[in-house]
Amino acid sequence: MINRGYCINYLLALMVILTLNFMLPRLMPGDPLQAIYGDEAMIAMTPELKEELISRYSLDLTQAGQFRAYIGSLLRGDLGYSYYYNVPVAAVLLGSFPWTALLVGLALCISTGLGLFLGIESGYRRGRTVDRLLLGGFMWISGLPDFFVGMLLLLIFGVTLGLVPLAGAVTPYTGQGWAPALIDGLRHLALPLASLVLARLTATYLLARNTMITTMGEPFIMTARSKGCSGPAVRYRHAGRNSLLPVVTAAGLQLSHLITGALFVEIVFSYPGMGALMYNALLTRDYPLLQGILLLSAVTVLTVNLLVDLLYKRIDPRVAYAH
Amino acid sequence: MTGRLYGILLIIALAVSLVVPLAGCGGQKEKGTQAENTYTVADATGDWGFPSPYAHYFRGPGYIRMSLIFDTLLWKNEKEYIPALAKSWEYNAGENSYTFSLVENATWHDGSKFTARDVVFTIDYTKMHPYQGVSAGVVKKAEALGDYRVKMYLDRPYAPFLEYIGGTLPILPEHIWKDVGSPEKFQQEKALVGTGPFILEDYSKEQGSYLYRANREYYQGKPAVDRIRFVKMGSQVMAAALRQKQASAAQVPPELGGALDEEGFFILAGKHDWVAKLMINHQREPLNKKEFRQALAFAIDRQALVGTCLRGHGLPGSPGLIPPDSPWYNAAVENQYPHSPERAALLIKGLGYEKKGNFFEKNGRALELELLVSGGGQGSPGAPGDREGEMIKGQLEKVGLKVSLRSLESKTLDSRVAEGQYDIALGGHGGLGGDPEMLNRMILDKGFNSARYQDSQELNLALKQQLTLMDRESRRELVGKVQEIYAREMPALPLYYPTWYWAHDGRAPLYYTLQGVGSGVPIPLNKMAFVNQND
Amino acid sequence: MHINYWGEIKRDSLGRAGMGTLVVLALLAIGAPIVSQYQPAEYTGAIFQPPSSQYWLGTNDVGQDIWAQLLYGARTSLLIGSGAALLSTFFSVLAGGMAAVLGGFGDRVLMRAVDALIAVPPVIVAILAAAYFRPGASMLIILLSAFLWPGGARLIRSQALSVKERMHIAAARTFGSSWPYLIRRHIIPDLGPVLTAILVLNFRRAVFMEAGLSFLGVADPTVISWGKMMQQALKFSYLEVWKWWLLPAGAALSMTIAALTFTGFALEKAINPRLKK
Repeated sequence: MINRGYCINYLLALMVILTLNFMLPRLMPGDPLQAIYGDEAMIAMTPELKEELISRYSLDLTQAGQFRAYIGSLLRGDLGYSYYYNVPVAAVLLGSFPWTALLVGLALCISTGLGLFLGIESGYRRGRTVDRLLLGGFMWISGLPDFFVGMLLLLIFGVTLGLVPLAGAVTPYTGQGWAPALIDGLRHLALPLASLVLARLTATYLLARNTMITTMGEPFIMTARSKGCSGPAVRYRHAGRNSLLPVVTAAGLQLSHLITGALFVEIVFSYPGMGALMYNALLTRDYPLLQGILLLSAVTVLTVNLLVDLLYKRIDPRVAYAH
Repeated sequence: MTGRLYGILLIIALAVSLVVPLAGCGGQKEKGTQAENTYTVADATGDWGFPSPYAHYFRGPGYIRMSLIFDTLLWKNEKEYIPALAKSWEYNAGENSYTFSLVENATWHDGSKFTARDVVFTIDYTKMHPYQGVSAGVVKKAEALGDYRVKMYLDRPYAPFLEYIGGTLPILPEHIWKDVGSPEKFQQEKALVGTGPFILEDYSKEQGSYLYRANREYYQGKPAVDRIRFVKMGSQVMAAALRQKQASAAQVPPELGGALDEEGFFILAGKHDWVAKLMINHQREPLNKKEFRQALAFAIDRQALVGTCLRGHGLPGSPGLIPPDSPWYNAAVENQYPHSPERAALLIKGLGYEKKGNFFEKNGRALELELLVSGGGQGSPGAPGDREGEMIKGQLEKVGLKVSLRSLESKTLDSRVAEGQYDIALGGHGGLGGDPEMLNRMILDKGFNSARYQDSQELNLALKQQLTLMDRESRRELVGKVQEIYAREMPALPLYYPTWYWAHDGRAPLYYTLQGVGSGVPIPLNKMAFVNQND
Repeated sequence: MHINYWGEIKRDSLGRAGMGTLVVLALLAIGAPIVSQYQPAEYTGAIFQPPSSQYWLGTNDVGQDIWAQLLYGARTSLLIGSGAALLSTFFSVLAGGMAAVLGGFGDRVLMRAVDALIAVPPVIVAILAAAYFRPGASMLIILLSAFLWPGGARLIRSQALSVKERMHIAAARTFGSSWPYLIRRHIIPDLGPVLTAILVLNFRRAVFMEAGLSFLGVADPTVISWGKMMQQALKFSYLEVWKWWLLPAGAALSMTIAALTFTGFALEKAINPRLKK
């Protein structure tokens, strides 16, 4: 299915995104020198230091020169050197990415799986008590932003009950064996994960339920029923498959926000992820790091799209004709 | 069939509640570290960079983390200069030079001996590779007189010398740094060889954590704790972390000071080093008129700002910029601008404005000012935001000045102010507790925090001169005069100084340092609070 | 199609509950000056007061009455939420529907544009927009819609693609129906459930985003909204005040969302006859 048109398509998108990556940070008012050093009253910004910083950050080059340098080093696989952190961008990204991937990836899997299942069950039993209870409950949860849920969970389980750690992804400097470390990591993960799952579950649930309801009216369901198919078979083999399409799209969409989507939850729980990293990079106008983060997020979006497009055809063969 | 559904739901319920047992196994506490006497400091930001002199982020907390490893020539406690790598120093007025006698029993963490050559090397090296905190440019020449004496010749009389070169510049080991070309990229274990009381064991950028172990050979005495660690915590949970003994010391929100005090924690109220200012674009009409700026000072009720927006945890701004608890404060400026809408209105009328309805206007054109605020509230605690903006707007409109409020992301606001694209704006900066050289930076320099005011010859001259007075008393007098001129010219209006609080469990006698750690870091983590100097 | 929307809603108990809540909320928002004796920006002089007969929900960090803020905040949140939800859903239908109908090259171009828009974190665009435009209610609605539509567009497209191939549409096409007719009479009604979901979702995201923008400091500082209340209350979560400051704002928001969804469900039945029993 992957032909040349497809490749050109994605290459074009990538080029546009690269240009945007370069331009967007530089369009923002304020420059890195000011953003990183301007705030601190105690810094001795002598002309020599200023000059040295400008040349270190290659701010003495023209925009075109900087763009050429950016593309050139990208082709060599070099993401540049972070202004603020004083280390290669790749190292900064590698440090934060696994934590975000763990947190958001897990949250996405759980919320999609659970939402799909509950949505199908609920849609199948439309109008009955279970459906109404689930629906009402989810409506309430969905009205709460993730940072709100996170703060609430933190206040209850962390501060008041003292059941879980208050911040971070691991307890620093306890390190004995992998089992305690794993448990420690999971304990830190519990609350941020729960808030993300709660925040995202409703969307999936609603989508699955809605499409389920639409599908349940289709003639082929009637056929399946009259054939004497069992309840679960009708729900999952026949009707559920139709709910899969929008749910997978939605999951793919959420995956595109993998990189920066957990910003607020990461801030509430001081979790070391990409969202918090990007926020700091924005505040310090750290161009190379911002470019790195944007690139990573763009590549994620494109990859996810490709996968979703391919998945479509597996899930719903009719779509293949649409291309 | 419904039965099956409930079965399935039950399974989900079980799966979801998996989180709870996980959460429940909080039984095993970190035992090893507790017995070993570890001191934990909680911090909201966490990562302040690799703690070498060149690689840490140049903010106060970054300097603190570096200062545990690297020593300076002299140091400060809460009231005076104390010896560090130099056991004594003297000023030779005749040739404008300083002589330092160095300690003879200091060693680098790798075992090499510390000598005068390291000091000379540091001066030369920082001239080539500017150090962010202080500039060594004022030292014309540094020479070693034997192994343990150093003489530095200054190229001009420079009053903050001891504070900056003596007490802020970290001394680097020559044998390690002599071949280092890009010091900010030099981030290996070797880059952390210092002479200080602690040695870094681990640093994690992602987790924002640092672990130090005591340097038992420290020449000023054995450290009183075996380990110091810094961990990252959200500011909302600081108090809980202290109560749950996850942290020994942390900066806490003002409202919690009282409660923590009753629970037996020690509360340290900080000096008022951070000032919130109303930046005034004195290049624009009518803000270029001294009288108009004075009218703003009369119109804004600084006490009400402290009472309402800071809930009393702060001091109203002194018109002379220097806070009342500084040794350099001039009390004569104190009552220059009491809150008085009448006097403000009078001054504005004096500039030819007429009140039509509620607001002033001139030649049919309404007088309207745009007030820029940064709405995020992500800066220092007590930094002015939209709350303060709304209040100031209300106060100015009561006088008859129409104000439109505009909220911007903080760095956007900074760049607007830097480029002069504003009328009035809320900003602020720290460092007022440090050497009064800060006045020059905040009045004359080009940064966006500075008033960038050069219109008063008298002020320019006094500021330049105060840097050259080596005698503290006469310098104090001149700094007092600077405050009087500043209050009269009013290039930027000091609004208030927020009070910051630290709480700690008393295991180490934390204190605020005279004029701040190094060149003015207002954090009570002076490394000497962790060292038993009597041993 | 003659549909008695009101009748449909009245017949459904969830719909009645939803519609009732919405009406009450709207009335409270409009009648805010009558229901509360304070102005939202008024400094009462008493800070962090617990709820009492004088201050129904207590006061906040600068001594403003929280009940008054909640009422006036409803105006902003309802206006911005519904404005952005409607506008962005309109964009989504336009783009998603067009992509699905056009297919081929047009589809690809549109979808790649959507990708590019999704890849750019909203935070950056928000900062840019705030730097060059003056934030106001209409600016905010447009800005939020610009962030919100790409997600919906993809959902619409995927649903429309499958609807397009359904039997009755194919049948209508063989009878020579024009595309506009098809979209109006068949595709949009079939998309009903997804549309409702997107509308509600976008409303919710718009209100959250508005809170997020004030978190970053790029919202209009003089206008109070629920999102902003939450953002301000979060700073004081270490005090007891969150119980009567953070919670009511969150509860009001979730109540609105729930009411909207319920109403949406009832309406859906009206739009999509096949859902009737």
